[in-house]
Amino acid sequence: MTALSPDIQPTRAARGPGRWQTLVTQLVGLLVILGAWWLITDVLKLYPPYVFPGPKAVWTEISYGLWGTGPQDGKLLSAIGGSLRRVLTGYVIAVLLGTAVGLLMGAWRPLRTTLGAYLTGIQSVPSIAFVPFAILFLGLNERAVLFVVILEGFIPVALAVSGALLNVPPALRVAGRTLGASSLSLIVRVLLPASVPSILTGLRTAWSFAWRALVGGELLIAGAASLGEQLEVGRNTANVALVLATIIIIGVIGGLFDSLLRAAEGRVRRDYGLEVPQ
Amino acid sequence: MTRNALLTLLTLTLTTTAAAQDAQTVRLGFFPNLTHAPALVGLERGTFQKALGKVKLDAKEFVSGTTLTEAFAAGQIDIAYVGPGPAINAAGRGMPVQFLAGASEAGAVLVARKDSGIKSYKDLAGKIIAVPSLGNTQDISLRHILNENSLKSKTDGGNVTITPVAPVDVLAAFAAKRVDATLVPEPWGAALEAQGHKVIGTEKTVWRDGKYPTTVVIVNTKFAQANPQLVAAFLKAHSEAVAFINKSPVGAQTAVNAQLLKLTGAKLDPRVLQRAFARTRFTTSLDLAALTEYAKLNVEAGYARSAPDLAPFIRK
Repeated sequence: MTALSPDIQPTRAARGPGRWQTLVTQLVGLLVILGAWWLITDVLKLYPPYVFPGPKAVWTEISYGLWGTGPQDGKLLSAIGGSLRRVLTGYVIAVLLGTAVGLLMGAWRPLRTTLGAYLTGIQSVPSIAFVPFAILFLGLNERAVLFVVILEGFIPVALAVSGALLNVPPALRVAGRTLGASSLSLIVRVLLPASVPSILTGLRTAWSFAWRALVGGELLIAGAASLGEQLEVGRNTANVALVLATIIIIGVIGGLFDSLLRAAEGRVRRDYGLEVPQ
Repeated sequence: MTRNALLTLLTLTLTTTAAAQDAQTVRLGFFPNLTHAPALVGLERGTFQKALGKVKLDAKEFVSGTTLTEAFAAGQIDIAYVGPGPAINAAGRGMPVQFLAGASEAGAVLVARKDSGIKSYKDLAGKIIAVPSLGNTQDISLRHILNENSLKSKTDGGNVTITPVAPVDVLAAFAAKRVDATLVPEPWGAALEAQGHKVIGTEKTVWRDGKYPTTVVIVNTKFAQANPQLVAAFLKAHSEAVAFINKSPVGAQTAVNAQLLKLTGAKLDPRVLQRAFARTRFTTSLDLAALTEYAKLNVEAGYARSAPDLAPFIRK
């Protein structure tokens, strides 16, 4: 690791703009995108609205879908609720399963060379490819969606955990042994705490994998309130504005969770002395 | 070689330019369902091609109104046989769509799996019901049936799961017990019945005593404006196909089966086809009142916020 090496970690001044400046830049960028979108659709009318609707039409869908009070409104809100419940369930299971499998792989070389290699292979298969199998195996229901979410989520965790264990400096191992730690307590009290930063990176990857797998699965297994179902309904009722509104919501939620995990990761890395405190 | 290629390109460009004034092909969309029988019969007997003369007929089959509407929006289809649900949605979203004629009425039934315990509409509570696709004509009808029976879909906070399954796959879904019931267009209802599954909602109890359109013929407005003769010729062929179905049902059934075999690779038992035919009516007339009511059901089902005035979309 390159902790504290001044040539890699920039100083405060060289690190660039502060938090507020970044926020303002991002806001300006958003306005530019919205302006371009509005110009293309509503002003120049380059596309008919049933092919590419303007920001206003999409905003209408978002506002009705999130806080509308009509009998058919609020569907995006309940879709978000359903999807979050599903992805969090799947994610928690995936993290527990991934940690267990990762520990086993880290501790036992034959498992690492066999299962580890296969997992990397499975990871390269797009999650949507597993959906038809999941439907046949588990039925047209939520379990099939969860199956895909867990499958996609646990692999990065397992790989991160096993990789992290291997990257723990040998000195720590030796020290632990010398101080009389048994195999189990070496893992629990030395190796695992030492690998937390790498594991957190795995958790963040697992989140984005799980979130993408979820939407893919929901798209094909409709039936309960979900963002995938909203996409499908928008498509089926020629409501492109709803499709775009749902895409935006999927992106915003995915991004929000990612930045939360990123913040946690950054904090842990700082606590571990892997980064200069800001 | 290069010069030939250039010439071909030039010819192609010229032909495409010419097509802007007068189409060289009519691209037709339809589904391999009995409710689309005028399309199947017209194709099998060459009725459309004869009426169109030198203009080539390019028929494309679709699984559901969804994909067909997408193709329609993308300008890849000129004329289509489609359910009123997707057609009304297309009109409501401002797509260039014009209702040309009626094609079939009724012809959709609610079938329950024999071991599902469903005997009436009330028993649909807590069950999984398949429809051809979300937002399609049968889905809208199903949501109306649920509404009338004080039931709600899971997405609306109720306990009935509505799931999209293509009609061709519905037999397999029943066999695998993946769904408990389905609202399907014919002949899939009759095919399920032949396997011992129970019809719990006939074409008459689905809605309006069976007096509702199940398939209509729509045309791209721009295509209709550019090619009035072609549209008239197609409409004449469509009327002929409908007249043939009503005059000689047996011949029509043979023609439908022959087309279904070509399209789906499976032939239906003639008795199944006969039963399916008995539950469907074929007509060229468009019932504006029924269509308007359908547009309201579409709003009730949550697929649109307002019902469009359909009168301007109907071909005079």
